Amino acid sequence: MSAPVSALREPLITGQKTYHAITEDICSPTEKTPTTAWVIAFICAVSGLALYVFSVTWTIWVGIGSWNLNRTINWGWDITNFVWWVGIGHAGTLISAILLLFRQKWRTGVNRAAEAMTIFAVICAGQFPLIHMGRIWLGFFILPYPNTRGPLWVNFNSPLLWDVFAISTYLTVSILFWYTGLVPDFATVRDRAKGLRRKIYNFVSFGWTGSAKHWQRWESLSLVLAGLATPLVLSVHTIVSFDFATSVIPGWHTTIFPPYFVAGAIFSGFAMVQTLMLTTRKVLKLEDYITLEHIDSMNKVILATGSIVGVAYLTELFIAWYSGYIYEQFAFYNRVMGPYFWSYIGMMGCNVLSPQIFWSKRMRRNLFVTFLMSIFVNIGMWFERFVIIATTLARDYLPTSWSYYSPTWVEVCIFIGTLGLFSTCYLIFIRVAPVVAVAEVKGILKNGGDQYVGPKANQSHH
Amino acid sequence: MKNKQGDVWIGDAQLANDPVYWQESNQEFHSLSMTDFLGEEEVSGGSSSRRDFLKYLGFGLGAATVAASCEIPVRKAIPYVVKPDAIVPGVATYYASSFVQGGDYCSILVKTREGRPIKIEGNSLSSVTRGGTSARVQAAVLSLYDTSRIAGPFRIRKGVIDKPASRNGKGPGWAVIDEEIRSSLKPGSRIRILAPTIQSPTTLQAITDFTVAFPQTKLLMYDAVSAAALIQANEACFGQAVVPDYHFEKAACIVSFEADFLGTWISPIEYAAKYVTNRRIHDVKKPSMSRHIQVESHISLTGSNADNRIQVKPSELGAAILALYNAVAGLSGLPAQNGPSLPAAKARKIKALATELFQHKGESLVVSGSNNLGEQTLVNAINVLLGNYGQTLDFQHASLQRKGLDSAVNGLIDEMARGEVDALFLMEGANPAWDIPRAAEFVRAAAKVPLKVSFATVPNESTALCDFVTPTNHFLESWGDAEPKRGHFSLMQPAISPLFDTRQAEVSLLTWAGSNKIPAGAEQPAMDYLMANWETQVFPKQARFAGFRAFWEHCLHDGIFENPVSGNAPVFAFAGDVSKAASQVRKPEASGLEISFFETVNMGNGQYANNPWLAELADPVARTSWGNYLAVPVTWNGGNRFSSLNNLNPREIYGEADIVDLSINGRSKPVTAVRQFGLLKDTVALALGYGRSVTGYMGKALGNEVGVNVYPWLSLDEQGNTRYYAAQAQVSEPVAKEDLFACVQYHHAMGVTGKDPETGETLNVDEKTSMALGSGYQGGIVDRSIIYKASLNELPELVHHIEEKRTEAAKLNSKTLYPIDEYTDHQFSQGHWWAMHVDLNACIGCGACSVACMAENNVPVVGKREVGRHHEMSWLRIDRYFFGKYENPNTVYQPMMCQHCDNAPCENVCPVAATPHSSEGLNQMTYNRCIGTRYCANNCPYKVRRFNWLDYTKADLFAVNEPQVNGESLPFGADNLTRMVLNPDVTVRSRGVIEKCSFCVQRIQEGKLTAKKEGRALQDNDVRTACQTACPTGAIVFGDRNNAQGDLTRKLDNPLNYIVLEEIGVRSSVNYTAKVINREESLDA
Repeated sequence: MSAPVSALREPLITGQKTYHAITEDICSPTEKTPTTAWVIAFICAVSGLALYVFSVTWTIWVGIGSWNLNRTINWGWDITNFVWWVGIGHAGTLISAILLLFRQKWRTGVNRAAEAMTIFAVICAGQFPLIHMGRIWLGFFILPYPNTRGPLWVNFNSPLLWDVFAISTYLTVSILFWYTGLVPDFATVRDRAKGLRRKIYNFVSFGWTGSAKHWQRWESLSLVLAGLATPLVLSVHTIVSFDFATSVIPGWHTTIFPPYFVAGAIFSGFAMVQTLMLTTRKVLKLEDYITLEHIDSMNKVILATGSIVGVAYLTELFIAWYSGYIYEQFAFYNRVMGPYFWSYIGMMGCNVLSPQIFWSKRMRRNLFVTFLMSIFVNIGMWFERFVIIATTLARDYLPTSWSYYSPTWVEVCIFIGTLGLFSTCYLIFIRVAPVVAVAEVKGILKNGGDQYVGPKANQSHH
Repeated sequence: MKNKQGDVWIGDAQLANDPVYWQESNQEFHSLSMTDFLGEEEVSGGSSSRRDFLKYLGFGLGAATVAASCEIPVRKAIPYVVKPDAIVPGVATYYASSFVQGGDYCSILVKTREGRPIKIEGNSLSSVTRGGTSARVQAAVLSLYDTSRIAGPFRIRKGVIDKPASRNGKGPGWAVIDEEIRSSLKPGSRIRILAPTIQSPTTLQAITDFTVAFPQTKLLMYDAVSAAALIQANEACFGQAVVPDYHFEKAACIVSFEADFLGTWISPIEYAAKYVTNRRIHDVKKPSMSRHIQVESHISLTGSNADNRIQVKPSELGAAILALYNAVAGLSGLPAQNGPSLPAAKARKIKALATELFQHKGESLVVSGSNNLGEQTLVNAINVLLGNYGQTLDFQHASLQRKGLDSAVNGLIDEMARGEVDALFLMEGANPAWDIPRAAEFVRAAAKVPLKVSFATVPNESTALCDFVTPTNHFLESWGDAEPKRGHFSLMQPAISPLFDTRQAEVSLLTWAGSNKIPAGAEQPAMDYLMANWETQVFPKQARFAGFRAFWEHCLHDGIFENPVSGNAPVFAFAGDVSKAASQVRKPEASGLEISFFETVNMGNGQYANNPWLAELADPVARTSWGNYLAVPVTWNGGNRFSSLNNLNPREIYGEADIVDLSINGRSKPVTAVRQFGLLKDTVALALGYGRSVTGYMGKALGNEVGVNVYPWLSLDEQGNTRYYAAQAQVSEPVAKEDLFACVQYHHAMGVTGKDPETGETLNVDEKTSMALGSGYQGGIVDRSIIYKASLNELPELVHHIEEKRTEAAKLNSKTLYPIDEYTDHQFSQGHWWAMHVDLNACIGCGACSVACMAENNVPVVGKREVGRHHEMSWLRIDRYFFGKYENPNTVYQPMMCQHCDNAPCENVCPVAATPHSSEGLNQMTYNRCIGTRYCANNCPYKVRRFNWLDYTKADLFAVNEPQVNGESLPFGADNLTRMVLNPDVTVRSRGVIEKCSFCVQRIQEGKLTAKKEGRALQDNDVRTACQTACPTGAIVFGDRNNAQGDLTRKLDNPLNYIVLEEIGVRSSVNYTAKVINREESLDA
């Protein structure tokens, strides 16, 4: 295989890596004693997880009355968090599936971590539909299992049921996809390991030998799963948006929701990938694999999706006015100028205005700005869901039922707790699995390594 | 060998007295530990050890399972050997009886199930209350099961009831207590019996009989919310010391000076029904309705229903009455009287009012709730001048529901202080240590009375001062009667045996008097005495029945005996001294903040403090519950800013409220503020009856310290009558934040307009100020299809407007993918198709339906903290909207319950199909299936679904999340006594499920079965929902839309009908009739 030399293409792997160096760099974090940074981070994460367990236990023990939701605002932080976490998951699938189909080679540096993020985010998201139930112990009612009650089936008209299918399908496919990618890399780790570790990695890599047949099957499976996952990128958040769009509540009952939610999901997902990647590459010293080129590409996606979301916000306002429908009009006036105006400002500022900074290439390649922006976008997207859910519910048709809502400590702790759950999973993941897809990175070394492409190609070729 | 002769032995080991043998044989169970046992098996080398292990495992699990489940609860259901005729398990029995609490009266039917009273319905045979009820009547059944009830006769030492702690503990017993009381009484003892109004002729007779033994006995009646001046004035003017019979139904023009006759004044159930007859629109082509003008300070329930309110400061009311007298006198050609005068603008309005009244001479009615003798005399004079006596009010069937005189209790205090009272008996409902202005003096004077006995059923502030408490029965356990109006008798019969060791006060009195009228050993002495009294007093008044037995049984069945006088009412000559009256009226205060004290529909004078149904019922006007809140006036400063007195509660839309120090006459107390439309600048208002300090003895009771006690702020006027206002009040700047602001609805309006002081533009006020930034969208609130209202003269426009909006809605709704019409026709044309109609002109907002719904449907009480968090569980609420001018708005009350949409948005979003639609158009709720996602509640446009946030019914296995209602020691509802009130036909919901109005599906089912058993088609009367039966004005009608002859169908055919939020296409089953007011614009000028 001869290397396609291009002076225009930015290298995706820097540091003039050899195949062995790649293996060394990426597998070594799983083999060494954890760093102090990791240990501190892990202690924090597990504390968060403990907080999560405590506050969820409290919720189940005391009842949903331990939250401040009320007869008017029946969903608040719970469903806000649910949508936020589901949205975050989307970047992983987009990177691994759609970019794979589009043969975007820059995805290889970040897809593993992004996919892991997807899974952990979906796990976090999946908590909320369960714990927000008044009677979680009867949550199995939501599954269409054969029963002796008639049989009594679930209500297939309900968007909440669609959610159950959408989220569980999404989680299953994401796990399969992620694990499939991990199999050859686990084999690589196994080959370097000894004793019990070797046995474990041998087991989890399904006895991978690296034969041509294995590789061929692996490639085929990856493509098939990518094909399966691609519609999910669009469908999952579309269905989540149906939770709102199919209702009769002004501010929810909106046909723009599916595309707007999907764009928002990708937007927030990429922001979260940035947050994680910037930290991971720094801590695990993976700057050669997750380069500025990667960060630049992802910032472009953030800029594009952020602008789509911005257009959606403005469209909503325009349509509310143009519809001539007073309830819709009031709902949007209320969003902007009602008692929750601050969350609307937060949403607009973080999601629409701040990403415009990425029109500048310098800013796209500035690590600090990128990190800050990724946090902003995460906050903004949380506000967006809060605006849609709480602000809308607080003031609907009958003014006599209007209310105002702020969370209790339990609700706040559950949210912080899911961050702990997510971080714990992620920190364990970077300790036990290659955080960059070794096999795939090796696959693009010849056409993405700095010794082969870019302005400085072949200068120090040996 | 040690064996006694004759013993039986089973082996030589026994005979040999082998110690091992004795050890083993003394053990009932052969003990061998599992490990030893298994070990032995292993030692024996048997290959069956695994099998045995599994056997023991199986046995162990089985034994554990049996052991865990073997504690079967003891069920005490014992079948009747001989079944009483009246009790069929599962079938309700109704007893006609009377609700009597002091001056409050209602003829009722008590619904009992398996011997337990569970619900009170109105008795439609009564011509006084006409089948209507009030919130207090509906809630009375809960008082029967009050956990604070006194369980038997007890001595009281130092304010503590001398009894064992447990409720069923043994006290000294009736014989001992009777003897102790009797020994303290001598024939010459100066005994004073203090009571609220006694409506019962039999109780009065018992007191008379008691007086035979103790001739120095005096009965003194007073009412905590007094009508003394009214009675005194009628005595002075006409020689009739009673309350007249008011005919609101005959009046074309009603003027009320602070009389809350729809809510609390004298006989509100009766007056509301009469009032509403002239307020409904029967024919939009030829509309007519009475005009009601309220002159008052605080916006009362009645004032909120008025067409016009003329606002005066509390101290100006006397001047206003005098001004009206002078104006009417002027029109009648009589001289004016000198006295205090009104400011010019208000005087002009009163003058216009006089003209209005004069046009309706003989068909007008002026009433006043004032407790000032001069003012009441002038009101009588006005009615005389207008020729209303004999027309709209007369004395023929005068009301006997208020008899109390303030002078009675005040005179008693003086007597007691002088040591001239030997014994004081406090009848149930009398609480002079708390509910009078001179309560503190009473407490001091009580120390000088050697014997004090209380008949209270529940401890109160006065009971704590007594030496003995000899509790009387709850009225649902009592035999008794009432004469609420002349010639209208009402019987009271027990619906249950006394729950505790209590005895009716009449019997106690007669026992102590040693009267021979109660034979010794009588099983039901109270009944015998009542029957004897009726035989001598009531039976002779009629001619229909020859024998007393038949008469008695007839009356007991009907609950009433009415013997109205026929012919024209005699007109008494007016003998009042008008000029003296003019000098007696209250003097207006030149300046300063004034406060009015008013009675609320739920708490009365404080005697209902222990009733959480009433405490939780939101005040109709202020929409607050669990306490009294200082109503402060709201002013609009143009733009987006409201301000209020001292800028209180600026963040009320966020559910935040301020606590201020209210100071009157140097007494200062912290109170929570609530903003209130319709109050004049410089006036505030606070409700009576809150802030009770002693309501129970078992730890902290749930009625304790709810709100603020205002009685110490009251004073007496020159005639010795209680004054229900105070001048020179001071309201401080906020001193603290209220963290439990239990307000279910903030000051939202529906089209309250005002002129912007800067631009002069007429703007929608509430809507502008509901925004946090900028101004809102004009019409965003007011154009909602929730409330339609108009003035009588704009009726054609309103009909047109409704028609237009409904056509537009129908057009919008026709754009659907689903053939809903075909479906509806097919689905609902077959059997029943339930629907409801609510007439907003008949609804006065009294809240009887709300409490009836709580009683019927086991709706939990959640308490102040939870109401403050908007967790109230009411299935039926009454939304209040203001409209018109913001300084002086009109009000519309809208009962809002599940609308049972035929295209219900809640149904299709439930993932587990827990809320399906019935083939009869009911939106059903399956609690067992509900997992509590709450999506249905979010998607309900009417926000009528309620979620059990916590374990409100105290039904969970673990008591960890049982919220207290008011910090009481035993959470409300956790006691089995309280649970006796539950309706067995309605599931008690657990935590975590949604609930809502079911259109009383249990009543529908019962009605269907009744019709089926009788082999006939169901009629609308077979099924009446709880709210419908409770309503005193008949505003709610329920029935079958498919029944062309039904009551409902007739109601549906009204061009003023509309459906709330019709354009969103949910197909609600509840029709409302638009609100029409008869406002006279000239009175606004």
